[in-house]
Amino acid sequence: VNRGTRLRRLGGLAVSAAAAAPFVAVWVAMLRAADDPLTARARLELAIWLAVFGTPWAVAARLLWRAWWRRTGAGLSSFDGPAWLLAAAAATLPADRRDWGAAMAAELTQVPDRAERWRFAAGSARVAVLPPGGNRAAAGVAGTLAVAALVAAGLATGAALPELRVFALTFVGLVGGLATLAVARRRRVGRAGPGPVIAGLGLAAVAGCVAATTWYLTEYPVTNAGHPPVVSATLPPVTAVALALTLAGGLWLALTPPRWLAGDRHGRRFGVGVAVALAAGFVLLSRLALRGGGGLDAGMMSYLLFVPPLLLLAGSAAAAVAGRSFRTGIAAGAWATVLGGLLVIVAWLVEAPRWYRQLGGLLLDAEGGVGMGVNLGDAVWWTLVTLGLWALPVGVIGAASGRAWARRRARHAAPAGHLGGRLRA
Amino acid sequence: MPRSRRPSAQTTAVVLALAEAPSTWRYGYELCQQLGLKAGSMYPILMRLADRGLLETTWEREAPAGRPPRHLYRLTGPGRVLAAELAAAPPVPATAARAASRARRRPRLEGT
Repeated sequence: VNRGTRLRRLGGLAVSAAAAAPFVAVWVAMLRAADDPLTARARLELAIWLAVFGTPWAVAARLLWRAWWRRTGAGLSSFDGPAWLLAAAAATLPADRRDWGAAMAAELTQVPDRAERWRFAAGSARVAVLPPGGNRAAAGVAGTLAVAALVAAGLATGAALPELRVFALTFVGLVGGLATLAVARRRRVGRAGPGPVIAGLGLAAVAGCVAATTWYLTEYPVTNAGHPPVVSATLPPVTAVALALTLAGGLWLALTPPRWLAGDRHGRRFGVGVAVALAAGFVLLSRLALRGGGGLDAGMMSYLLFVPPLLLLAGSAAAAVAGRSFRTGIAAGAWATVLGGLLVIVAWLVEAPRWYRQLGGLLLDAEGGVGMGVNLGDAVWWTLVTLGLWALPVGVIGAASGRAWARRRARHAAPAGHLGGRLRA
Repeated sequence: MPRSRRPSAQTTAVVLALAEAPSTWRYGYELCQQLGLKAGSMYPILMRLADRGLLETTWEREAPAGRPPRHLYRLTGPGRVLAAELAAAPPVPATAARAASRARRRPRLEGT
Protein backbone atom coordinates (compact mmCIF):
# COMPACT_ATOMS: atom_id res chain seq x y z
CA VAL A 1 0.00 0.00 0.00
CA ASN A 2 1.68 3.21 -1.11
CA ARG A 3 1.64 6.51 0.70
CA GLY A 4 -1.13 7.98 -1.47
CA THR A 5 -3.47 5.05 -0.84
CA ARG A 6 -2.76 5.18 2.89
CA LEU A 7 -3.50 8.89 2.94
CA ARG A 8 -6.75 8.38 1.02
CA ARG A 9 -7.93 5.69 3.44
CA LEU A 10 -6.88 7.58 6.55
CA GLY A 11 -8.48 10.75 5.22
CA GLY A 12 -11.72 8.87 4.55
CA LEU A 13 -11.81 7.52 8.08
CA ALA A 14 -10.99 10.94 9.50
CA VAL A 15 -13.76 12.78 7.64
CA SER A 16 -16.30 10.07 8.57
CA ALA A 17 -15.28 10.34 12.21
CA ALA A 18 -15.43 14.13 12.06
CA ALA A 19 -18.94 13.99 10.54
CA ALA A 20 -20.15 11.55 13.20
CA ALA A 21 -18.48 13.33 16.12
CA PRO A 22 -21.15 16.02 16.63
CA PHE A 23 -23.83 13.33 16.96
CA VAL A 24 -21.77 11.45 19.56
CA ALA A 25 -21.24 14.75 21.37
CA VAL A 26 -24.99 15.41 21.37
CA TRP A 27 -25.60 11.91 22.76
CA VAL A 28 -23.12 12.46 25.59
CA ALA A 29 -24.51 15.92 26.31
CA MET A 30 -28.08 14.59 26.47
CA LEU A 31 -27.06 11.84 28.86
CA ARG A 32 -25.36 14.36 31.12
CA ALA A 33 -28.21 16.87 30.89
CA ALA A 34 -30.86 14.34 31.99
CA ASP A 35 -32.31 15.15 35.40
CA ASP A 36 -32.38 11.48 36.40
CA PRO A 37 -29.92 8.87 35.15
CA LEU A 38 -31.36 7.23 32.01
CA THR A 39 -32.00 3.53 31.88
CA ALA A 40 -29.90 1.38 29.58
CA ARG A 41 -32.87 1.04 27.23
CA ALA A 42 -33.40 4.81 27.11
CA ARG A 43 -29.70 5.33 26.37
CA LEU A 44 -29.85 2.76 23.61
CA GLU A 45 -32.95 4.33 22.06
CA LEU A 46 -31.29 7.73 22.12
CA ALA A 47 -28.17 6.29 20.53
CA ILE A 48 -30.25 4.63 17.80
CA TRP A 49 -32.00 7.92 16.96
CA LEU A 50 -28.72 9.78 16.75
CA ALA A 51 -27.21 6.97 14.68
CA VAL A 52 -30.13 7.25 12.25
CA PHE A 53 -29.27 10.91 11.69
CA GLY A 54 -25.50 10.58 12.04
CA THR A 55 -24.83 7.57 9.82
CA PRO A 56 -25.87 9.29 6.57
CA TRP A 57 -23.48 12.13 7.42
CA ALA A 58 -20.59 9.75 8.08
CA VAL A 59 -21.26 7.90 4.81
CA ALA A 60 -21.77 11.15 2.86
CA ALA A 61 -18.54 12.63 4.21
CA ARG A 62 -16.66 9.51 3.10
CA LEU A 63 -18.21 9.68 -0.40
CA LEU A 64 -17.38 13.37 -0.75
CA TRP A 65 -13.82 12.71 0.37
CA ARG A 66 -13.40 9.94 -2.20
CA ALA A 67 -14.78 12.13 -4.99
CA TRP A 68 -12.54 15.01 -3.97
CA TRP A 69 -9.55 12.69 -3.81
CA ARG A 70 -10.19 11.38 -7.30
CA ARG A 71 -10.37 14.88 -8.79
CA THR A 72 -7.89 16.85 -6.72
CA GLY A 73 -6.39 15.03 -3.79
CA ALA A 74 -4.54 12.40 -5.79
CA GLY A 75 -2.88 15.21 -7.76
CA LEU A 76 -1.55 16.59 -4.50
CA SER A 77 0.77 13.61 -4.32
CA SER A 78 1.36 13.71 -0.57
CA PHE A 79 0.31 15.75 2.41
CA ASP A 80 1.59 18.97 0.87
CA GLY A 81 0.13 21.71 3.05
CA PRO A 82 1.04 24.69 0.84
CA ALA A 83 -0.41 23.00 -2.27
CA TRP A 84 -3.62 22.13 -0.41
CA LEU A 85 -3.94 25.68 0.91
CA LEU A 86 -3.48 27.16 -2.54
CA ALA A 87 -5.83 24.62 -4.17
CA ALA A 88 -8.56 25.46 -1.64
CA ALA A 89 -8.14 29.20 -2.15
CA ALA A 90 -7.95 28.91 -5.95
CA ALA A 91 -11.27 27.03 -5.94
CA THR A 92 -12.96 30.26 -4.84
CA LEU A 93 -11.67 32.29 -7.78
CA PRO A 94 -14.29 33.73 -10.13
CA ALA A 95 -14.50 32.05 -13.54
CA ASP A 96 -12.64 34.84 -15.31
CA ARG A 97 -9.68 34.45 -12.95
CA ARG A 98 -9.46 30.66 -13.05
CA ASP A 99 -6.28 30.62 -15.12
CA TRP A 100 -4.47 32.61 -12.48
CA GLY A 101 -5.18 29.96 -9.86
CA ALA A 102 -3.64 27.33 -12.12
CA ALA A 103 -0.72 29.68 -12.82
CA MET A 104 0.07 30.15 -9.14
CA ALA A 105 -0.32 26.42 -8.45
CA ALA A 106 2.07 25.60 -11.30
CA GLU A 107 4.65 28.03 -9.93
CA LEU A 108 4.37 26.56 -6.45
CA THR A 109 5.65 23.23 -7.75
CA GLN A 110 8.88 25.02 -8.65
CA VAL A 111 9.50 26.52 -5.22
CA PRO A 112 12.03 24.23 -3.51
CA ASP A 113 12.38 25.49 0.06
CA ARG A 114 9.61 24.47 2.49
CA ALA A 115 9.35 27.80 4.30
CA GLU A 116 9.41 29.63 0.99
CA ARG A 117 6.65 27.33 -0.31
CA TRP A 118 4.43 28.29 2.63
CA ARG A 119 5.12 31.98 2.02
CA PHE A 120 4.44 31.64 -1.69
CA ALA A 121 1.24 29.64 -1.09
CA ALA A 122 -0.03 32.04 1.59
CA GLY A 123 0.54 35.08 -0.63
CA SER A 124 -1.06 33.38 -3.62
CA ALA A 125 -4.00 32.20 -1.52
CA ARG A 126 -4.62 35.77 -0.40
CA VAL A 127 -4.66 36.87 -4.04
CA ALA A 128 -7.04 34.04 -4.91
CA VAL A 129 -9.49 34.93 -2.15
CA LEU A 130 -9.34 38.65 -2.86
CA PRO A 131 -8.23 39.01 -6.47
CA PRO A 132 -7.52 42.50 -7.76
CA GLY A 133 -9.42 44.33 -10.43
CA GLY A 134 -12.83 44.32 -8.82
CA ASN A 135 -15.05 47.21 -9.60
CA ARG A 136 -13.93 49.51 -6.78
CA ALA A 137 -16.40 52.28 -7.54
CA ALA A 138 -19.30 49.83 -7.65
CA ALA A 139 -18.04 48.13 -4.49
CA GLY A 140 -17.86 51.51 -2.77
CA VAL A 141 -21.42 52.31 -3.82
CA ALA A 142 -22.61 48.85 -2.73
CA GLY A 143 -20.86 49.20 0.63
CA THR A 144 -22.34 52.65 1.21
CA LEU A 145 -25.81 51.41 0.27
CA ALA A 146 -25.36 48.41 2.58
CA VAL A 147 -24.48 50.64 5.54
CA ALA A 148 -27.38 52.97 4.73
CA ALA A 149 -29.77 50.01 4.48
CA LEU A 150 -28.51 48.68 7.81
CA VAL A 151 -29.07 52.01 9.54
CA ALA A 152 -32.49 52.37 7.91
CA ALA A 153 -33.47 48.84 8.97
CA GLY A 154 -32.41 49.54 12.54
CA LEU A 155 -34.31 52.83 12.69
CA ALA A 156 -37.43 51.51 10.93
CA THR A 157 -37.78 48.35 13.00
CA GLY A 158 -36.95 50.23 16.20
CA ALA A 159 -39.80 52.64 15.54
CA ALA A 160 -42.39 50.36 13.97
CA LEU A 161 -41.69 46.73 14.92
CA PRO A 162 -38.99 46.21 17.57
CA GLU A 163 -39.62 42.43 17.55
CA LEU A 164 -38.19 42.34 14.02
CA ARG A 165 -35.03 44.24 14.87
CA VAL A 166 -32.56 41.37 15.43
CA PHE A 167 -33.71 39.61 12.27
CA ALA A 168 -33.73 42.78 10.17
CA LEU A 169 -30.28 43.93 11.28
CA THR A 170 -28.73 40.48 10.79
CA PHE A 171 -30.38 39.89 7.43
CA VAL A 172 -29.72 43.34 5.99
CA GLY A 173 -26.15 43.31 7.32
CA LEU A 174 -25.43 39.90 5.80
CA VAL A 175 -27.03 40.67 2.45
CA GLY A 176 -25.28 44.06 2.27
CA GLY A 177 -21.91 42.55 3.19
CA LEU A 178 -22.27 39.68 0.73
CA ALA A 179 -23.41 42.02 -2.05
CA THR A 180 -20.43 44.28 -1.46
CA LEU A 181 -18.09 41.30 -1.46
CA ALA A 182 -19.64 39.98 -4.68
CA VAL A 183 -19.27 43.32 -6.43
CA ALA A 184 -15.71 43.71 -5.15
CA ARG A 185 -14.69 40.27 -6.46
CA ARG A 186 -16.23 40.57 -9.90
CA ARG A 187 -14.77 42.66 -12.63
CA ARG A 188 -18.09 43.13 -14.31
CA VAL A 189 -21.47 43.01 -12.64
CA GLY A 190 -23.22 40.40 -14.74
CA ARG A 191 -26.62 38.78 -14.66
CA ALA A 192 -27.42 36.01 -12.20
CA GLY A 193 -25.15 33.03 -12.80
CA PRO A 194 -27.49 30.06 -12.36
CA GLY A 195 -30.19 31.37 -14.70
CA PRO A 196 -33.46 33.22 -14.26
CA VAL A 197 -35.45 30.28 -12.86
CA ILE A 198 -33.20 29.69 -9.86
CA ALA A 199 -32.53 33.38 -9.27
CA GLY A 200 -36.26 34.14 -9.54
CA LEU A 201 -37.29 31.28 -7.26
CA GLY A 202 -34.66 32.24 -4.69
CA LEU A 203 -35.62 35.91 -4.73
CA ALA A 204 -39.35 35.17 -4.55
CA ALA A 205 -38.93 32.68 -1.71
CA VAL A 206 -36.75 35.03 0.35
CA ALA A 207 -39.13 37.94 -0.26
CA GLY A 208 -42.03 35.70 0.77
CA CYS A 209 -40.22 34.62 3.95
CA VAL A 210 -39.44 38.22 4.91
CA ALA A 211 -43.02 39.32 4.23
CA ALA A 212 -44.49 36.39 6.16
CA THR A 213 -42.11 36.92 9.09
CA THR A 214 -43.08 40.60 9.24
CA TRP A 215 -46.75 39.65 9.19
CA TYR A 216 -46.32 37.09 11.99
CA LEU A 217 -44.52 39.61 14.18
CA THR A 218 -47.09 42.30 13.44
CA GLU A 219 -50.01 40.04 14.29
CA TYR A 220 -48.38 37.90 16.98
CA PRO A 221 -45.38 39.73 18.50
CA VAL A 222 -45.50 37.40 21.51
CA THR A 223 -47.01 34.00 21.83
CA ASN A 224 -47.77 31.41 24.47
CA ALA A 225 -45.75 28.22 24.28
CA GLY A 226 -44.61 25.33 26.48
CA HIS A 227 -46.33 23.23 29.15
CA PRO A 228 -47.89 24.98 30.93
CA PRO A 229 -48.01 27.76 28.34
CA VAL A 230 -45.78 30.74 29.07
CA VAL A 231 -45.67 33.96 27.11
CA SER A 232 -42.50 34.27 25.04
CA ALA A 233 -41.22 36.11 21.99
CA THR A 234 -42.46 34.82 18.65
CA LEU A 235 -39.01 35.31 17.16
CA PRO A 236 -36.35 34.97 19.88
CA PRO A 237 -32.87 36.26 19.01
CA VAL A 238 -31.32 32.84 18.26
CA THR A 239 -34.15 31.94 15.88
CA ALA A 240 -34.01 35.40 14.31
CA VAL A 241 -30.29 34.99 13.59
CA ALA A 242 -30.84 31.45 12.24
CA LEU A 243 -33.61 32.69 9.92
CA ALA A 244 -31.48 35.62 8.74
CA LEU A 245 -28.51 33.34 8.06
CA THR A 246 -30.73 30.89 6.16
CA LEU A 247 -32.35 33.55 4.00
CA ALA A 248 -29.15 35.50 3.30
CA GLY A 249 -27.22 32.31 2.54
CA GLY A 250 -30.00 31.03 0.28
CA LEU A 251 -30.18 34.33 -1.56
CA TRP A 252 -26.40 34.41 -1.99
CA LEU A 253 -26.36 30.92 -3.45
CA ALA A 254 -29.36 31.57 -5.70
CA LEU A 255 -27.80 34.71 -7.17
CA THR A 256 -24.05 34.07 -7.14
CA PRO A 257 -23.48 30.34 -6.70
CA PRO A 258 -19.99 28.85 -6.82
CA ARG A 259 -18.80 27.48 -10.18
CA TRP A 260 -19.35 23.81 -9.37
CA LEU A 261 -22.97 24.48 -8.43
CA ALA A 262 -23.92 26.89 -11.19
CA GLY A 263 -22.31 25.19 -14.13
CA ASP A 264 -24.17 21.89 -14.16
CA ARG A 265 -27.33 21.93 -16.30
CA HIS A 266 -28.70 18.58 -15.09
CA GLY A 267 -27.89 19.47 -11.50
CA ARG A 268 -29.83 22.71 -11.75
CA ARG A 269 -32.84 21.15 -13.44
CA PHE A 270 -33.19 18.18 -11.11
CA GLY A 271 -32.51 20.37 -8.08
CA VAL A 272 -35.22 22.85 -9.02
CA GLY A 273 -37.59 19.99 -9.78
CA VAL A 274 -37.06 18.37 -6.38
CA ALA A 275 -37.37 21.73 -4.59
CA VAL A 276 -40.66 22.58 -6.31
CA ALA A 277 -41.96 19.04 -5.72
CA LEU A 278 -41.08 19.31 -2.03
CA ALA A 279 -42.95 22.58 -1.59
CA ALA A 280 -45.88 21.51 -3.78
CA GLY A 281 -46.21 18.23 -1.89
CA PHE A 282 -46.13 20.11 1.38
CA VAL A 283 -48.96 22.44 0.35
CA LEU A 284 -50.96 19.59 -1.21
CA LEU A 285 -50.77 17.43 1.91
CA SER A 286 -51.61 20.39 4.10
CA ARG A 287 -54.73 21.13 2.06
CA LEU A 288 -55.74 17.47 2.09
CA ALA A 289 -55.36 17.41 5.85
CA LEU A 290 -57.46 20.52 6.24
CA ARG A 291 -60.21 18.88 4.22
CA GLY A 292 -60.15 16.02 6.68
CA GLY A 293 -58.82 13.43 4.27
CA GLY A 294 -57.29 10.17 5.45
CA GLY A 295 -56.45 11.11 9.01
CA LEU A 296 -53.76 13.54 7.88
CA ASP A 297 -54.67 16.18 10.43
CA ALA A 298 -51.94 15.04 12.84
CA GLY A 299 -49.60 17.62 11.39
CA MET A 300 -46.85 17.71 8.80
CA MET A 301 -44.10 16.11 10.84
CA SER A 302 -44.35 12.78 9.03
CA TYR A 303 -44.05 14.52 5.68
CA LEU A 304 -40.98 16.41 6.84
CA LEU A 305 -39.28 13.31 8.23
CA PHE A 306 -39.87 10.97 5.30
CA VAL A 307 -40.51 12.88 2.07
CA PRO A 308 -37.45 15.21 1.85
CA PRO A 309 -34.87 12.41 2.19
CA LEU A 310 -36.72 10.22 -0.27
CA LEU A 311 -37.09 13.03 -2.82
CA LEU A 312 -33.46 14.08 -2.46
CA LEU A 313 -32.29 10.49 -2.71
CA ALA A 314 -34.26 9.96 -5.92
CA GLY A 315 -33.55 13.40 -7.40
CA SER A 316 -29.80 13.30 -6.78
CA ALA A 317 -29.56 9.75 -8.09
CA ALA A 318 -31.54 10.64 -11.23
CA ALA A 319 -29.38 13.73 -11.82
CA ALA A 320 -26.21 11.66 -11.39
CA VAL A 321 -27.50 9.14 -13.92
CA ALA A 322 -28.53 11.87 -16.39
CA GLY A 323 -25.24 13.70 -16.05
CA ARG A 324 -23.23 10.49 -15.58
CA SER A 325 -21.47 12.29 -12.78
CA PHE A 326 -21.35 12.31 -8.96
CA ARG A 327 -20.91 16.09 -9.04
CA THR A 328 -24.16 16.48 -10.98
CA GLY A 329 -26.00 14.54 -8.30
CA ILE A 330 -24.38 16.63 -5.58
CA ALA A 331 -25.36 19.84 -7.38
CA ALA A 332 -28.96 18.62 -7.67
CA GLY A 333 -29.06 17.76 -3.96
CA ALA A 334 -27.59 21.12 -3.02
CA TRP A 335 -30.07 23.07 -5.15
CA ALA A 336 -32.95 20.98 -3.82
CA THR A 337 -31.86 21.71 -0.24
CA VAL A 338 -31.32 25.43 -0.73
CA LEU A 339 -34.38 26.22 -2.83
CA GLY A 340 -36.55 23.53 -1.22
CA GLY A 341 -35.71 24.89 2.23
CA LEU A 342 -36.69 28.44 1.30
CA LEU A 343 -39.89 27.33 -0.45
CA VAL A 344 -40.94 25.02 2.39
CA ILE A 345 -40.49 27.83 4.94
CA VAL A 346 -42.71 30.10 2.83
CA ALA A 347 -45.28 27.34 2.36
CA TRP A 348 -45.22 26.61 6.09
CA LEU A 349 -45.78 30.23 7.07
CA VAL A 350 -48.60 30.58 4.53
CA GLU A 351 -50.34 27.32 5.52
CA ALA A 352 -49.98 27.59 9.29
CA PRO A 353 -52.68 30.27 9.79
CA ARG A 354 -55.19 28.01 8.01
CA TRP A 355 -54.38 25.19 10.43
CA TYR A 356 -54.67 27.52 13.37
CA ARG A 357 -58.02 28.88 12.27
CA GLN A 358 -59.50 25.57 11.21
CA LEU A 359 -57.99 23.03 13.63
CA GLY A 360 -56.76 25.29 16.43
CA GLY A 361 -53.29 23.79 16.42
CA LEU A 362 -49.79 23.99 15.03
CA LEU A 363 -48.97 22.89 11.52
CA LEU A 364 -46.08 20.71 12.70
CA ASP A 365 -48.01 18.35 14.97
CA ALA A 366 -51.49 19.86 15.35
CA GLU A 367 -50.70 20.65 18.97
CA GLY A 368 -53.28 22.99 20.51
CA GLY A 369 -53.10 25.38 23.42
CA VAL A 370 -50.07 27.26 22.19
CA GLY A 371 -49.82 30.50 20.22
CA MET A 372 -49.90 30.94 16.46
CA GLY A 373 -46.46 32.56 16.53
CA VAL A 374 -44.84 29.26 17.55
CA ASN A 375 -45.23 28.26 13.89
CA LEU A 376 -42.51 30.75 12.92
CA GLY A 377 -39.83 29.06 15.01
CA ASP A 378 -41.10 25.62 13.97
CA ALA A 379 -40.83 26.57 10.29
CA VAL A 380 -37.24 27.72 10.66
CA TRP A 381 -35.82 24.96 12.84
CA TRP A 382 -37.70 21.99 11.47
CA THR A 383 -36.92 22.93 7.89
CA LEU A 384 -33.24 23.38 8.70
CA VAL A 385 -33.09 20.08 10.56
CA THR A 386 -35.09 17.93 8.16
CA LEU A 387 -33.55 19.31 4.96
CA GLY A 388 -30.07 20.43 5.99
CA LEU A 389 -29.31 17.83 8.62
CA TRP A 390 -31.32 14.85 7.49
CA ALA A 391 -32.11 14.95 3.77
CA LEU A 392 -28.91 16.52 2.42
CA PRO A 393 -26.54 13.65 3.31
CA VAL A 394 -29.11 11.20 1.94
CA GLY A 395 -28.92 13.20 -1.30
CA VAL A 396 -25.14 12.70 -1.35
CA ILE A 397 -25.68 8.95 -1.01
CA GLY A 398 -28.22 9.15 -3.85
CA ALA A 399 -25.68 10.93 -6.05
CA ALA A 400 -23.12 8.19 -5.41
CA SER A 401 -25.70 5.49 -6.13
CA GLY A 402 -26.71 7.19 -9.37
CA ARG A 403 -23.13 7.47 -10.52
CA ALA A 404 -22.45 3.83 -9.66
CA TRP A 405 -25.55 2.79 -11.59
CA ALA A 406 -24.54 4.90 -14.60
CA ARG A 407 -21.08 3.39 -14.51
CA ARG A 408 -22.45 -0.16 -14.45
CA ARG A 409 -24.78 0.66 -17.32
CA ALA A 410 -21.97 2.20 -19.35
CA ARG A 411 -19.74 -0.79 -18.63
CA HIS A 412 -22.37 -3.14 -20.01
CA ALA A 413 -23.12 -0.90 -23.00
CA ALA A 414 -19.58 0.08 -24.04
CA PRO A 415 -16.89 -2.24 -25.33
CA ALA A 416 -13.88 -2.67 -23.08
CA GLY A 417 -11.44 0.23 -23.24
CA HIS A 418 -14.07 2.83 -24.12
CA LEU A 419 -15.35 3.44 -20.63
CA GLY A 420 -12.94 6.14 -19.57
CA GLY A 421 -14.31 8.86 -21.81
CA ARG A 422 -17.95 8.20 -21.00
CA LEU A 423 -18.00 8.85 -17.30
CA ARG A 424 -16.93 11.85 -15.39
CA ALA A 425 -15.84 11.79 -11.75
CA MET B 1 -2.86 51.54 -23.32
CA PRO B 2 -1.86 54.97 -21.95
CA ARG B 3 -2.34 55.62 -18.25
CA SER B 4 -3.31 58.89 -16.72
CA ARG B 5 -1.14 58.44 -13.60
CA ARG B 6 2.12 56.80 -12.78
CA PRO B 7 1.97 53.14 -11.68
CA SER B 8 3.16 52.12 -8.21
CA ALA B 9 6.85 51.56 -7.60
CA GLN B 10 6.41 47.80 -7.60
CA THR B 11 4.41 47.83 -10.83
CA THR B 12 7.07 50.02 -12.40
CA ALA B 13 9.73 47.53 -11.36
CA VAL B 14 7.78 44.64 -12.88
CA VAL B 15 7.19 46.50 -16.14
CA LEU B 16 10.85 47.50 -16.41
CA ALA B 17 11.97 43.95 -15.65
CA LEU B 18 9.72 42.60 -18.38
CA ALA B 19 10.93 45.31 -20.78
CA GLU B 20 14.56 44.25 -20.52
CA ALA B 21 13.94 41.47 -23.02
CA PRO B 22 10.50 42.26 -24.42
CA SER B 23 10.24 39.21 -26.62
CA THR B 24 11.19 36.78 -23.86
CA TRP B 25 8.45 34.92 -22.02
CA ARG B 26 8.89 35.19 -18.25
CA TYR B 27 7.16 33.33 -15.42
CA GLY B 28 5.85 34.47 -12.07
CA TYR B 29 8.23 32.87 -9.59
CA GLU B 30 11.23 33.96 -11.65
CA LEU B 31 9.99 37.57 -11.52
CA CYS B 32 9.35 37.24 -7.76
CA GLN B 33 12.94 36.12 -7.23
CA GLN B 34 14.40 38.69 -9.54
CA LEU B 35 12.58 41.64 -7.98
CA GLY B 36 12.39 40.39 -4.42
CA LEU B 37 8.59 40.64 -4.48
CA LYS B 38 6.25 38.24 -2.69
CA ALA B 39 3.68 36.22 -4.64
CA GLY B 40 0.94 38.19 -2.89
CA SER B 41 2.29 41.36 -4.49
CA MET B 42 3.48 39.99 -7.82
CA TYR B 43 0.29 38.26 -9.00
CA PRO B 44 -2.08 41.21 -8.44
CA ILE B 45 0.35 43.33 -10.48
CA LEU B 46 0.47 40.76 -13.28
CA MET B 47 -3.33 40.44 -13.23
CA ARG B 48 -3.84 44.20 -13.46
CA LEU B 49 -1.30 44.55 -16.25
CA ALA B 50 -3.03 41.76 -18.17
CA ASP B 51 -6.47 43.31 -17.52
CA ARG B 52 -5.24 46.59 -19.01
CA GLY B 53 -3.86 44.93 -22.11
CA LEU B 54 -0.26 45.69 -21.16
CA LEU B 55 0.71 42.08 -20.60
CA GLU B 56 0.38 39.09 -22.89
CA THR B 57 -0.05 35.68 -21.28
CA THR B 58 0.28 32.14 -22.55
CA TRP B 59 0.80 28.64 -21.20
CA GLU B 60 4.10 26.81 -21.58
CA ARG B 61 3.71 24.41 -24.51
CA GLU B 62 6.28 21.77 -23.65
CA ALA B 63 6.60 21.41 -19.92
CA PRO B 64 9.11 18.82 -18.69
CA ALA B 65 7.56 15.59 -17.39
CA GLY B 66 6.60 15.74 -13.75
CA ARG B 67 5.64 19.39 -13.52
CA PRO B 68 2.60 21.30 -14.76
CA PRO B 69 2.99 23.87 -17.54
CA ARG B 70 3.81 27.38 -16.44
CA HIS B 71 1.89 30.54 -17.14
CA LEU B 72 4.18 32.88 -19.09
CA TYR B 73 4.15 36.63 -19.48
CA ARG B 74 5.59 39.34 -21.73
CA LEU B 75 4.70 42.94 -22.52
CA THR B 76 2.34 43.79 -25.35
CA GLY B 77 2.92 46.76 -27.66
CA PRO B 78 1.17 49.22 -25.33
CA GLY B 79 3.08 47.61 -22.45
CA ARG B 80 6.37 48.35 -24.16
CA VAL B 81 5.28 51.93 -24.76
CA LEU B 82 4.48 52.26 -21.06
CA ALA B 83 7.86 50.74 -20.18
CA ALA B 84 9.62 53.26 -22.41
CA GLU B 85 7.70 56.11 -20.75
CA LEU B 86 8.56 54.82 -17.29
CA ALA B 87 12.22 54.35 -18.18
CA ALA B 88 12.38 57.93 -19.47
CA ALA B 89 10.48 59.38 -16.52
CA PRO B 90 12.16 61.02 -13.46
CA PRO B 91 13.70 58.69 -10.86
CA VAL B 92 11.31 56.56 -8.88
CA PRO B 93 11.25 56.10 -5.09
CA ALA B 94 13.95 54.06 -3.40
CA THR B 95 12.03 50.77 -3.19
CA ALA B 96 11.39 50.61 -6.90
CA ALA B 97 14.90 51.75 -7.65
CA ARG B 98 16.24 48.86 -5.59
CA ALA B 99 13.88 46.43 -7.30
CA ALA B 100 14.81 47.76 -10.73
CA SER B 101 18.48 47.47 -9.83
CA ARG B 102 17.98 43.84 -8.80
CA ALA B 103 16.14 43.29 -12.06
CA ARG B 104 19.19 44.43 -13.99
CA ARG B 105 21.65 42.34 -11.95
CA ARG B 106 19.82 38.96 -12.02
CA PRO B 107 20.17 36.57 -14.95
CA ARG B 108 17.06 35.83 -17.01
CA LEU B 109 15.73 32.56 -18.30
CA GLU B 110 15.09 32.58 -21.99
CA GLY B 111 11.48 32.10 -23.04
CA THR B 112 10.01 29.10 -24.73
